[in-house]
Amino acid sequence: MTSVVTIFLSRLSDGSSERKDAMRHRLARTLIAVAILLAASGPSEAQVSNLPRTPDGRPDLQGIWQALSPAAWDIQDHRAQLGVPPGQGVVDGNDIPYQPWALAKKQENLANRLAADPITKGYMPGVPRIMYMPFPFQLVQTADYVAMIFEYAHGIRTVHTNGTPHPRGPINWWLGDSRGHWDGDTLVVDVVHFTDQTWFDQTGNFHSDALHLVERYTLTGPDHINYEVTVEDPTVFTRPWKMRLPLYRRKESNVQLLDYEPAFLMQEEAAKQDREN
Amino acid sequence: MNSTYLRSILTLTIALAVPYAASAGQADDLSTSPTRPQVRAQESLGGCPGDSGAAAFHECALEKAETFEPPRTPDGRPDLQGYWNNRLAQAFSVEGVSGSEPLVNDDVMPWTISPPMVIDSSDGKIPYQPWAAAIGRLGVNYEQYIDPRTQCGPGGVPRLALQDVNQILQPWGDNTVVWLFEDHHVNRVITMDDGPALGENIKLWNGYSRGHWEGNTLVIEVDNLNGYTWLDDSGNFYTDAAHLVERLTLIDANTIHYEVTVEDPNVFTRPWKLAWALVKETQPGFELLEEACWEGERDLPRILEAGYKYYFGESWQGR
Repeated sequence: MTSVVTIFLSRLSDGSSERKDAMRHRLARTLIAVAILLAASGPSEAQVSNLPRTPDGRPDLQGIWQALSPAAWDIQDHRAQLGVPPGQGVVDGNDIPYQPWALAKKQENLANRLAADPITKGYMPGVPRIMYMPFPFQLVQTADYVAMIFEYAHGIRTVHTNGTPHPRGPINWWLGDSRGHWDGDTLVVDVVHFTDQTWFDQTGNFHSDALHLVERYTLTGPDHINYEVTVEDPTVFTRPWKMRLPLYRRKESNVQLLDYEPAFLMQEEAAKQDREN
Repeated sequence: MNSTYLRSILTLTIALAVPYAASAGQADDLSTSPTRPQVRAQESLGGCPGDSGAAAFHECALEKAETFEPPRTPDGRPDLQGYWNNRLAQAFSVEGVSGSEPLVNDDVMPWTISPPMVIDSSDGKIPYQPWAAAIGRLGVNYEQYIDPRTQCGPGGVPRLALQDVNQILQPWGDNTVVWLFEDHHVNRVITMDDGPALGENIKLWNGYSRGHWEGNTLVIEVDNLNGYTWLDDSGNFYTDAAHLVERLTLIDANTIHYEVTVEDPNVFTRPWKLAWALVKETQPGFELLEEACWEGERDLPRILEAGYKYYFGESWQGR
């Protein structure tokens, strides 16, 4: 850009009238300002040059997405078991910094998981678990919101990106209260007001209602989002910890969000059995 | 067994359980939120009569829609975005509630006398085939089955728009309209294209919604319904063969004329229509809350013990 400015100025300076000088002065100031603006916006553009964008200039996250991650079973490294694919964990360093009492509680959850996992009761899975369950979800964007719409249990997360603060608590919501802002091209979502009833995975990794999440959604290409979440809960953990995994765009040409209502599928099964008895 | 009395108690306990589950400890916030009555007579709704029933509103609204120039989205579509409450509507019965209905005098949960929302029959009644009239309209469904919404199921179409406050979003790109409902945190994604239909074996609680614009009207065609939902508390129903056409038109900046045509050759003698108004919630800072119903449900064992059965379309399946 600098070289373009220089060439343009040198052409103008071929003339010698005062009028041209004045014009050159004004143009130079304008062009230098443009050059500075372009230079300032350079680094983020350099990250990904051709991201799809919404009319307000934000990365366009819209579409149907799904994680392909062993985190749905266990967020840490684990071997295969019958019905559980083996997997490399999504936790940074593979270490969840439980307080001693909480580690014992995790082990208890693990032992009782078939009955104790909130998923087995058909409850909403909480955040971040709903982000990496093996079900698609749809992202839509407006000037004021990023809405996350889940096939699983008709879940809804409305991320308010209009600068509004979290409502005053205490509030216990299964999917929390989400407020977002853009850090360059990354959507940063702050989530609080949780219940203490949800888990991170099927192995009993858990949190309290003091859970505080900071999620980062970064579009790294047209079909991939890098999802990072920092987990903070001073009641359960000794320090914040982080998970990261990609989200993939569902590419089937006819893909649509359908519905999976765990509670009512359970009831439907119960009704069938009643009829047979 | 006094089934009416029992049902009233059950409905009431669940109504009480829902906000508890949704937001235990949120009393401060709820106390400042606006009251949300299901029936509120108003003199005028977007310049149309708000106290003469849905049919009178419907006639007037169709005229208003001819001339009203709506606010528009950046994509140039009528801007339906915002939070909406229903008016001229109630969920007891889409056929209305007459003064001679015994439930009007129910001790626990009295029904409200209301005109019908059925707008295209002289008596405000659903044009049921005879067998189906015995199942809907406080018949077999009401007497024998648990209201699917009482067991925390998705309310279905159009009942969702009869219940609590809802929100319409028109995301960038004009490819979808999203309708979010506070009632049991249910969503509808309306796909705005003319792509292929879903396979007929795919059945959904709220159906598959495909939308298009006809002038200033959002038209939504709904198929692939599972038929597991009711139209109202009275057990009025359709089957999984139903086809719905909804029409949403702004008649002033804060009023939507909502109309739905219900077609199901298995159940009705002809297609028929419901209509009511959606009025914009304008309180500053208003937002949808998370209403977790199933997660706080405690009464189902008692309801089953009392002899009510799960519905899942049992009363019409196999016909």
